[in-house]
Amino acid sequence: MEGVSYQRFPKIKIREVKDDYAKFELRETDASMANALRRVMIAEVPTVAIDLVEIEVNSSVLNDEFIAHRLGLIPLTSERAMAMRFSRDCDACDGDGQCEFCSVEFHLRAKCMTDETLDVTSKDLISSDHTVVPVDFSDSSGYDSADKKGIIIVKLRRGQELRLRAIARKGIGKDHAKWSPAATVTFMYEPEIHINEDLMESLTLEEKTSWVESSPTKVFDIDASSQQVVVADAEAYTYDDEVLKKAEAMGKPGLVEIYAKEDSFIFTVESTGAIKASQLVLNAIDVLKQKLDAVRLSEDTVEADDQFGELGAHMRGG
Amino acid sequence: MNAPDRYERFVVPEGTKKVSYERDTKIINAASFTVEREDHTIGNILRMQLHRDENVLFAGYKLPHPLQYKIIIRIHTTSQSSPMQAYNQAINDLDKELDYLKNAFEVELAKHSREY
Repeated sequence: MEGVSYQRFPKIKIREVKDDYAKFELRETDASMANALRRVMIAEVPTVAIDLVEIEVNSSVLNDEFIAHRLGLIPLTSERAMAMRFSRDCDACDGDGQCEFCSVEFHLRAKCMTDETLDVTSKDLISSDHTVVPVDFSDSSGYDSADKKGIIIVKLRRGQELRLRAIARKGIGKDHAKWSPAATVTFMYEPEIHINEDLMESLTLEEKTSWVESSPTKVFDIDASSQQVVVADAEAYTYDDEVLKKAEAMGKPGLVEIYAKEDSFIFTVESTGAIKASQLVLNAIDVLKQKLDAVRLSEDTVEADDQFGELGAHMRGG
Repeated sequence: MNAPDRYERFVVPEGTKKVSYERDTKIINAASFTVEREDHTIGNILRMQLHRDENVLFAGYKLPHPLQYKIIIRIHTTSQSSPMQAYNQAINDLDKELDYLKNAFEVELAKHSREY
């Protein structure tokens, strides 16, 4: 097929990356691509989460299902998830946790022997695989935060005990939200703000101040020395139209013009800690590519149509 | 009680094809593609990519029902092309765009981690 290509060459600029946070600009593509990436990050990038729980002893105040649900929601480090198999298409086992390709086993044993309440946390989960462990939220920068405790699962009083076996599996957020690696993924159109300087200068300082303050977010500011209205932070604009309404009410329509640049997006990605935010974006691109590959037409469909085409051409007298 | 299994949203049932193609019986160069177990993620990017193709006269997709996990993509092209050709072209172009995007992101990431 020698047809012309309609491919685009999007530009990316990373503003900030941390382990669980990323902010970047995506340009020269359209909202469908930005939204597809967002949707894939939330619902289709795989992670590992506890899916099967076998309770041996539970004399805590929470019932078995309640604890099983809480265990499922604990984020587990999932760098390996992309390479793992879904237990439904793993032929090495039947997804019962005996197989290293699709599952990881966890054990938890806790019993309170003192008068003090015992907190059972994600730190008490013993993993059979050192690459898949509960996410560590303790801040590595400062050890002053004494709570290196992990996520509380249940609290036990004297004599109460919890003993269980859990199996973690690979899954996607579309199946259950516990498998979603994304805490939040958002994108916004980049705003373009033009102030009509001539019209703005016809305003008194009080009018300028009241106009600047009409914006619910701090988009504009007044320069202290020149008393001119300047754009302080264009991205703080939430497309609320308040400043436009205010300008109208002041009898100065067209004081400012604000456009959404329709091929320019600002993304914010927050991860649950299961995978790094930057890796989440890369995995989303891979997953989207796999999805596109899966919707290619199969050979037999094309063949069937070729025959149909010949028939059609014949009938049209071709 | 009678809720459908959750996996039905993304596992193509055995014996069903992922993509099926149906030519329009009345219009030449018009066809519908039924894509099983896909949603707006794929539907919308394909539709927008098809709109960039000047031989495509019409491209649209619909999700007929939220509990029927399939989308229908309809394409009508000029005689210079065919719905199948346009569909394949759109997938190829998107695939290349994503390759480019991945590379661009990795380059930026490397640049960013060097700075800190």
